[in-house]
Amino acid sequence: MLRRSFMTTALAALPTAFVTRRAQAAAATELKVFISKQERPSVMRQAFDEYSARNPAAKVTIEAGPTTSEAQAQYLNTVLSARDSSLDFFLLDVIRPAQFAAAHWAVPLNSAVGDVAALMKQYLPAYAAADQVNGELVALPGFADAMFLYYRKDLLEKYQLTPPKTWTDLTEQAKKVTAGEKDPSLQGLSFQGAPIEGAVCTFLLPYWSAGHDLITNGKLTFNVPAAGQALALWRGFITNGVSPRTIAQATTEDTRQDFQAGKVLFAVCWSYAWALFQGKNSAVVGKVGVAKLPAVTGGTSVSCIGGWQWGVSAFSHHKPQAIALVRFLSSLPISKLLAIKASLLPVFPQIYTDPDVLKVNPWFAAAGPVLASARSRPVTPRYNAVSEIIRTDFNAVMAGTMTGKAAARNMEVRLRRVLG
Amino acid sequence: MPALRAGLIRVIVASFLLVNGLFPALWILLTSLKTTIELRRTPITWLPAHPTLENYVHAFTQQPLPLFLLNSVIVACFSTLLTLFVAALAAYALVRLEMPVRGLILGFIIAVSTFPLVTLLVPLFEILRSLDLLNSYPALIFPYAVLSLPVCTLVLMTYFETIPADLEHAAMVDGCTRFGALRRIVMPLAAPGVFTAGILAFVNSWDEFLLALSFNSDPRFRTLPVGITLYQGQFTFPWPEISAALVVGIVPIAILIVVFQERVVSGLTTGGLKG
Amino acid sequence: MRRRLADPSDRVLGVLLLSPAFLLLGGIVVYPVIRLIGLSLTDLDLSSGLPGRFVGIVNYVGLWSDPTFRQTLLTTAILTVVTVPGGMLAGLGLALLANLAYRRKWPVRLALLMPWAMPLAFTGLIFAWFFNGEYGVVNDILRRIGLPQRIWFNSIFWSFFAISLTIIWKSSSFVALVLLAGLQAIPKELYEAAAIDGAGRWRQFRAVTLPLLRPAIAVALIFRTITALQTFDIPFTMTKGGPGSATETLAMYVYQSTVDDLALGRGAAIAIVLALISLVMSVVYMRQIRAAA
Repeated sequence: MLRRSFMTTALAALPTAFVTRRAQAAAATELKVFISKQERPSVMRQAFDEYSARNPAAKVTIEAGPTTSEAQAQYLNTVLSARDSSLDFFLLDVIRPAQFAAAHWAVPLNSAVGDVAALMKQYLPAYAAADQVNGELVALPGFADAMFLYYRKDLLEKYQLTPPKTWTDLTEQAKKVTAGEKDPSLQGLSFQGAPIEGAVCTFLLPYWSAGHDLITNGKLTFNVPAAGQALALWRGFITNGVSPRTIAQATTEDTRQDFQAGKVLFAVCWSYAWALFQGKNSAVVGKVGVAKLPAVTGGTSVSCIGGWQWGVSAFSHHKPQAIALVRFLSSLPISKLLAIKASLLPVFPQIYTDPDVLKVNPWFAAAGPVLASARSRPVTPRYNAVSEIIRTDFNAVMAGTMTGKAAARNMEVRLRRVLG
Repeated sequence: MPALRAGLIRVIVASFLLVNGLFPALWILLTSLKTTIELRRTPITWLPAHPTLENYVHAFTQQPLPLFLLNSVIVACFSTLLTLFVAALAAYALVRLEMPVRGLILGFIIAVSTFPLVTLLVPLFEILRSLDLLNSYPALIFPYAVLSLPVCTLVLMTYFETIPADLEHAAMVDGCTRFGALRRIVMPLAAPGVFTAGILAFVNSWDEFLLALSFNSDPRFRTLPVGITLYQGQFTFPWPEISAALVVGIVPIAILIVVFQERVVSGLTTGGLKG
Repeated sequence: MRRRLADPSDRVLGVLLLSPAFLLLGGIVVYPVIRLIGLSLTDLDLSSGLPGRFVGIVNYVGLWSDPTFRQTLLTTAILTVVTVPGGMLAGLGLALLANLAYRRKWPVRLALLMPWAMPLAFTGLIFAWFFNGEYGVVNDILRRIGLPQRIWFNSIFWSFFAISLTIIWKSSSFVALVLLAGLQAIPKELYEAAAIDGAGRWRQFRAVTLPLLRPAIAVALIFRTITALQTFDIPFTMTKGGPGSATETLAMYVYQSTVDDLALGRGAAIAIVLALISLVMSVVYMRQIRAAA
């Protein structure tokens, strides 16, 4: 009952501007979207159906595919390289808009939106950077994600500690708790050290926190000493025993599972972990806290933005309809709907304090400030090459096959080759 | 005493073969009976602490696993038959007939198998689209037949070479055509080779992921390897459920091997080269 | 008489018998490969936002000064040199052992085929787990027998070791399958005759088994080499190329160029180099075999 009434009120509040009412006579346009199982097709279905109810001329067919980033890239690259018109719109990982814009796979949304700056100001700050490439609006935010510091509330309370503000605090707290617990399998800190996309965020967290950027206005502004310090910070956790030596193989899922099994004090991980920590098969139900990520000494707390963006295919035969639908899907009521029904993080800051949402997901209150502090990874069509450079050199340092200084210098040489 | 020793050696050898071949599969089977949290226990457990069939229930309820299985069986069977047919004809021609460019033809067939598939995806996609074959069984049957064609041709050639040409001539004198001789004399005598080629082709099709992902995105035509990846999230990798799905995928192949081994191959080889 | 006439001449029959193969290859492969060759002569890179231009052999020349190409070529060469002989020897051993007489044939046969039937991508994941520093079976066994454990993938050497072992395990099954069928085709009478002549087991193996197995060995060797040169799934899933990019192979570089970077021209050029290496290797093998026969 509650849900129904929410739906009606939420959708009644929709600005009618982009819900074009068409004459009944118009034949229904079938719009095909590519999303994955991760995106809860059943909840998305509701959003699409609401749109169709207000706009009977449009029907949406879902093509649900594998969720891994590799499988999605393989599929979308094949279909779009073949200039196939079967997909009308899609959900993109936040790191992809620049590449899609350069490949001319996504329709620019500027003219449909009007005042781009005003619109993007409504979203979480990181998305204005992530979704715009050289003034072109490539995609609109669908739902958010970011890196969080998860901590064991029960253990911190036991030792009368509050969540660490700096990485130095974290080290001290981890040492204190692990020494007190005398449990050799308890890790102080778990993070992603494997050469995966998450490692790019891991590397960037202290680098950003110290006030540095990788790319500024399209130019490489790589600070070698700062990169060396960021690498040394992470390597330090391994050498001082706060993190295990196996961290160089840890994927996001390893961090999540170790924490869930009750073997980790602090973990740097994406938002998906929260629901699993509270689910069955978890040893830490009710014992988990979320905090902003620690800063480097003298720096600010920064997180790394994730999330998924709606884009319209350049090969679609129904671009105007798809653009209207994408605007609807990136609107506030839908973000709220996804937050309540699918626990997907909202892209609008004010939803994090919305009582309807907090009733279902109380932890969003703590998540809000983290999302607000999140930054976008470098926006460049060559992002995948940049990512490859950072994650491989980062991994080499974590495995101990390269020193932090050497890796920082190596990164610079390789980044110059890619970005010129 | 020597008989006893020989028996003992045989047991040791057999155990080694079984452990080497079956251990990973057994590990997957055991994992499919565990819970996620048990996998994070140190020291690790070998046998499930509390065996559960829940993962199988999940595997079957989350995805239409039987449909994926059926699709895989259809695609693998037809592409195997197609490859065997095409490869047998080609192999026979290359072995028995006088041809000027034998080596070149063989080289061409092999060269084809050496291109990394990922680079051929887009043009293949375009061909299939122009034939309106995307999201259909033939979209996979034909490419898979090509994938296995080189290895099947070479394997069959080696077995055809061991069959004395006189046997065929005798059959032809008895009134068989050349095709008849190929079907009635050569193929049965090459049974171990046909079996080997068939298994190679079947497994090739059974495992293929990239083409299946790109060409058959419609869930109705999805095959098992793509189906298994659907259990993964963007980050989540639920080993117990994936193990259950893997077990479901491996069992048909195991049955196939056992049935073929016991019924077909032993029967044919014992009746084979006596003459 | 009529049947005799129905038999076409060798040449016509040859064309007839080969035409299905050529039709299939022509339909499915020739056009993509021609397009691939065309692509490799352009600088098409979708992430540059520019249309591809014809640049001749620039992509090929550029590879020689490309450090990633050299490094992945070296990694691929090492894996090939280690896993081809390794897989061949292990496969031959398995085939010989499986060819002994057992009361029930299917359990041994099943064990022989299982590695081959295990999906490739998951083989890498399963073995990565076996070699996991914390939750791996390998370390668990070492712990139980009192040997030091190690974090395998933190070391370049041991990463290569684990990857090679996995490839050898997987491919020995393929080799054994091909060789076993060859072993079964060797008439028992030959061994009996050799035994009467006083040949021991080893002599029988050298004088009867090996020569008659030569064609099957050749087939296995050709395909083992080609697949080794194209090694992708196992390192991709086991180490993701790590530590650093020490275990990244040529095929992984093709994938990275094509799927990740959308540098289609460069990706095509690497793919063609890879295919040419494979082609040369198989031609060399076939020459050798024919010379020996």
